[in-house]
Amino acid sequence: MPFPLAAIRFVLALIWLGLCLSPVEAGLSSAFAKIELNDGFAGSQIIVSSNNRDCTREATYLSDNPAVASVDTTGYVMAIGNGSTIVRVAHPDGKLEIRVKVAGVGAGGRSVDFRTEVVPLLSKLGCNAGGCHGKASGQNGFKLSLFGFDSDFDYAAIVREARGRRVFAASPDHSLFLLKGAGRVPHGGGKRLNPNSADYQVIRQWIVAGAPASAPDTPVVRKLRVTPSDHSLKRDSQQQIAVLAEYSDGSIRDVTRQSEFVSNLDVVASVDSTGLVKSHQLSGEAAIMTRHMGHVAVFRAMVPHGEPLTAIPEFKPINYVDELAVAKWKKLGLRPSPSVDDVTFLRRITVDVCGRLPTPAEVRAFIADSATDKRTKLVDRLLDSPDYPAYFALRWGSILRNSNLAGADQAAYAFHGWIKDNIARNRPYDEFVRGIIAAAGEWQDAPAINWYWQNRDDQLHQITADVAQIFLGVRLQCAKCHHHPYERWGQADYYGLAGFFTRLGRKSFGQPPPYFASPTVQSGERDPLTGKSPEPKYPDGDSPKFTSEDDPRHGLVDWMVKPENPFFARALVNRLWGHFLGRGLFQEVDDQRDTNPPSNPELLDALAKEFVAKKFDVKHMIRTIVTSRVYQLSSTPSEHNKDDRQNFARYYARRMPAEVFLDAVNQATSSKAGFSGVGTNGRAVDLPHEGFGSYFLDTFDRPKRVTVCECERSSGATLSQVLLLANSDEIENKIGAADGRVSKLVAEKKSIAESIEELYLSAFSRQPTDAEKNKTTAFVDQQANKQQALEDVLWALLNSKEFMFNR
Amino acid sequence: MLDIVGSRRSFLQVGSLALGGMTLPGLLRLRQAGAQSSAGRKKSVILIWQAGGPSHIDMYDLKPDAPAEVRGEFKPIDTNVAGIRIGEHLPRQAKIMDKLAILRSATHTNAGHGMGAQWMLTGYQPTIEVNDNIYPSCGSVAAKMNGPNEPGLPAYVNLPRSLNLGKAAYLGASFNPIAPDNDPNTDGFQVRNLKLPGKVPADRLSRRKELLDSLDTVRRDIDTKGDLIGLDTFYRDALEMVTDPKAQRAFDINKEPIKLRDTYGRNDLGQSCLLARRLVEAGVTYITVQAGGGWDTHGDNFKQLKTNLLPKFDQAVTALVNDLFDRGLQNDVLVMAMGEFGRTPKINGGAGRDHWPGAMSVLYAGGGLKMGQAIGTTNALAEYPTSKPASPGCVLSTMYHVLGIDHKHVFFDDAKRPMPILAEGEPVKELIG
Repeated sequence: MPFPLAAIRFVLALIWLGLCLSPVEAGLSSAFAKIELNDGFAGSQIIVSSNNRDCTREATYLSDNPAVASVDTTGYVMAIGNGSTIVRVAHPDGKLEIRVKVAGVGAGGRSVDFRTEVVPLLSKLGCNAGGCHGKASGQNGFKLSLFGFDSDFDYAAIVREARGRRVFAASPDHSLFLLKGAGRVPHGGGKRLNPNSADYQVIRQWIVAGAPASAPDTPVVRKLRVTPSDHSLKRDSQQQIAVLAEYSDGSIRDVTRQSEFVSNLDVVASVDSTGLVKSHQLSGEAAIMTRHMGHVAVFRAMVPHGEPLTAIPEFKPINYVDELAVAKWKKLGLRPSPSVDDVTFLRRITVDVCGRLPTPAEVRAFIADSATDKRTKLVDRLLDSPDYPAYFALRWGSILRNSNLAGADQAAYAFHGWIKDNIARNRPYDEFVRGIIAAAGEWQDAPAINWYWQNRDDQLHQITADVAQIFLGVRLQCAKCHHHPYERWGQADYYGLAGFFTRLGRKSFGQPPPYFASPTVQSGERDPLTGKSPEPKYPDGDSPKFTSEDDPRHGLVDWMVKPENPFFARALVNRLWGHFLGRGLFQEVDDQRDTNPPSNPELLDALAKEFVAKKFDVKHMIRTIVTSRVYQLSSTPSEHNKDDRQNFARYYARRMPAEVFLDAVNQATSSKAGFSGVGTNGRAVDLPHEGFGSYFLDTFDRPKRVTVCECERSSGATLSQVLLLANSDEIENKIGAADGRVSKLVAEKKSIAESIEELYLSAFSRQPTDAEKNKTTAFVDQQANKQQALEDVLWALLNSKEFMFNR
Repeated sequence: MLDIVGSRRSFLQVGSLALGGMTLPGLLRLRQAGAQSSAGRKKSVILIWQAGGPSHIDMYDLKPDAPAEVRGEFKPIDTNVAGIRIGEHLPRQAKIMDKLAILRSATHTNAGHGMGAQWMLTGYQPTIEVNDNIYPSCGSVAAKMNGPNEPGLPAYVNLPRSLNLGKAAYLGASFNPIAPDNDPNTDGFQVRNLKLPGKVPADRLSRRKELLDSLDTVRRDIDTKGDLIGLDTFYRDALEMVTDPKAQRAFDINKEPIKLRDTYGRNDLGQSCLLARRLVEAGVTYITVQAGGGWDTHGDNFKQLKTNLLPKFDQAVTALVNDLFDRGLQNDVLVMAMGEFGRTPKINGGAGRDHWPGAMSVLYAGGGLKMGQAIGTTNALAEYPTSKPASPGCVLSTMYHVLGIDHKHVFFDDAKRPMPILAEGEPVKELIG
């Protein structure tokens, strides 16, 4: 009989001392002075450093008594027999002695435990990955829980299903489980296990013992920790990390060799299966995720751009955004680009806030304005103009999938108007969100019900996923079917959130029909964990009770808008940051999770805190962001920041969204969009839904409002776009229109110089440089037909990157 | 029907018409027609998409012994392959059954047009009816994995116009199809914006390009996504396509002999099929052809099929398959025809058939696959497969097999989830041999 597991288990696997207490010689240090291994399956990774630089793989290791503990060339120690010994570490910088005590091996020790030893192997070997037996449908009739988050399920699958053929104690090597894994019989996944490997032997030993289940009181993993948790690495250097699991009985165990590792940015830092992180030539930050038994932990690797800086005197912070950005740049040795010039700022802010180009008159006035606070005044003027709500209503309309499908033409106009009105009045964001999530009534009174109507086909699920992604910045949809592979979210969280919407009813007439909060459950969906209708539970929180009088959706909003809610405010400030800076502090802007850490957590927290303190005042947050010096940096990279893609040491230039770009073309050529139903001067940004046919907008990837994902807009350049811009009658007709910009200039008998200046002001929102004046004037002079020549200049401007990009 | 000699003649004629001294890839292939091996040749696919859902029980899987309210008015006819019978309104295909293979046991479970179509075109079942595909369409996957077979041509083309659910989704817009957005059966047919605009002769465009090059000096490293550099590449490609006649010639259906054009059928489907053949010869990797509209025969199913849908479809498919075989392209080009689902075996009150994903037939021709067979069976009422059920993943993986694309290759979606090209399904064994 094996020993009672809980009694002898993992008394104390490791003693964490931070730094070595007794190096034999100065210089070298280890994270562990002493290692205790308390069963025959235990191992421990030694991490050795010298002068804050990892040298684990440079050192050599020798065990005084290999019959007690073995150590390999990577510094990984394994229990062999009971007793004590010393592992000697040698390196040019010094020597270390690490005492190793081994107990609980062999007779009297515990036997292989399914949950502790076998399940982690299923993850490590890839058996339970989403592409194999871990997917919802399993593979060839064998299904495991994804990444091993449900070991009871896995035990039943391996031991009880397939009429017990998967394990065969009498002849363990003939167990289907081992035959398949070792590739001795045809296996779709190929050979995953070498019969001589320790992994194979562990599984074999477990089968020989009769493939016992883990005892109910076997400790379970509660938390995973990586050591070190972060480190700054030079380029082309490395860092060994170790993974420690904390169990429900308080014990700690090294699970480095039983964990998987994934880098979120392996061009910056990659990781191998032993937990060795390597930096490469590119500076930046990478999050190395490690996963064990459905738990995740993150090691953050920072590869600085240069030596850490004590000060960046050329950058004078304007507000706390700048101060927090500087703090990060100093650590990274990152020097920002200089401030952007006035005219480029004018174009940038006008596009970002208003979704249009500045007019030539605005450019001239801004250049002429000598006030020192002219940028701040400009921001205020733009935020108070009708163009700000118009543009942001377009953005929100896409995110909220406002559409005229299913008879919702009038409702789509109404919802668009409702959004625009909320933004124009700067209605606090929490109230805006409540107006959507808790929408009820007829569409004429509550246009936001079109959000529910457009999601009607899969209402409960789509709404659940959208609420999480849009308003909490959390992608929960994975957890509908399985435990989220990179997060703590499970089906209980998903169905808990769905539980707030089960009582939403809709009438059987009208498009959209009236929606109402019913006292009884209206949805036929079942929570697969309970087999019953989903019950409300806050994500990562408790389960509130509601009376039949309550609308649980209000309860959900109440929870969301609480100042201490960790998701709500962060999601919105990050979305705004992403809009104005071209990349979220966490990216994508709606994918907030521990394994996707923000590039500047302090800045994210400060913005979120202020957003709460200012009672969800969106305009205030926009003002804070765009009046910062960070937003006002030049987009021209310097030697010091050319590799920066995460820390905003320069403004990241980007293409204009489809609607803004079409309006920009129309503005530069002085033509109209010509959409019907939005007024004669209606622009593309004014379109209330996606149902307005436009080859231009489709070609430039107007969102189809299919998904809430902001990344829907970020698709790259295409050949059709270029053919359209460079070689189409559509653009040609705008350039050469009888009432177009060039014709007007010619009709008004403007000089060539004046005309060229006007074209530059209209398209690039700036004066031409002397060189540009010379080139274009020479070009026009060479040609007999001045109108055609000016059209050619305008064509060249429209097809320039400077025109297409907001920079 | 054309015989081999006739088609060779007409093709040589095309070659000489096209441009003196210019060797069309097809001409090269013709010279190699005797060669047995097709190894090393680039593969391509022409997918004829029958949007709306073609009636399997009236086309390829007739049930003459079923009750009248199921079997309908069409009779099966013999084909040139013993034991395979198909519907009487596909007489041309019946004569070339040895060059076709029917998969009768394709099946899925979603009876919505958009969702069913996404499933068949992407291999993934979406959970919501939407305007645009959430997962990459098979054509975008082929474009991403294989690129164009000939530089200077697009990899993925939709004929005659954009396929509703045929986009690249998370693979990125670069792998979206290019579509002429015009009907190749019309006289003035041309690809949108591929020809110089009337007001801009070539010399003016080249002057403009020169001016653009001298003015477009903004630094190319101011973004983080490489879009400025990408645009430079597209400008080079686009201006090359506009001024070098290669792409325009590939799209110029007027270069085809009148007799051959008539053989394909003088309608959008026939001419799109002919254009598709021109394009695969020139080096396009993946082409979808919209098989007209009207396959959604909820009312008057039989009249619609026999007077309108099937004659055009039969003519176009037969002409295309014969043409490809005549040119020795049967191992290099795969033709497929399918829709989003089959139709209800039980005839409704309006003599129509409704949506039925439980069983559907998929037509394959060429691609080096084994022809002259009917694979899989359905039950007595053509409701469900009784043997060799084939999921959308099976249908598409067979196609990826022809293209030499590993259908388990993993992409990452916008949420950074690893998404294999197909999450399920293996190639149909009987087809890949």
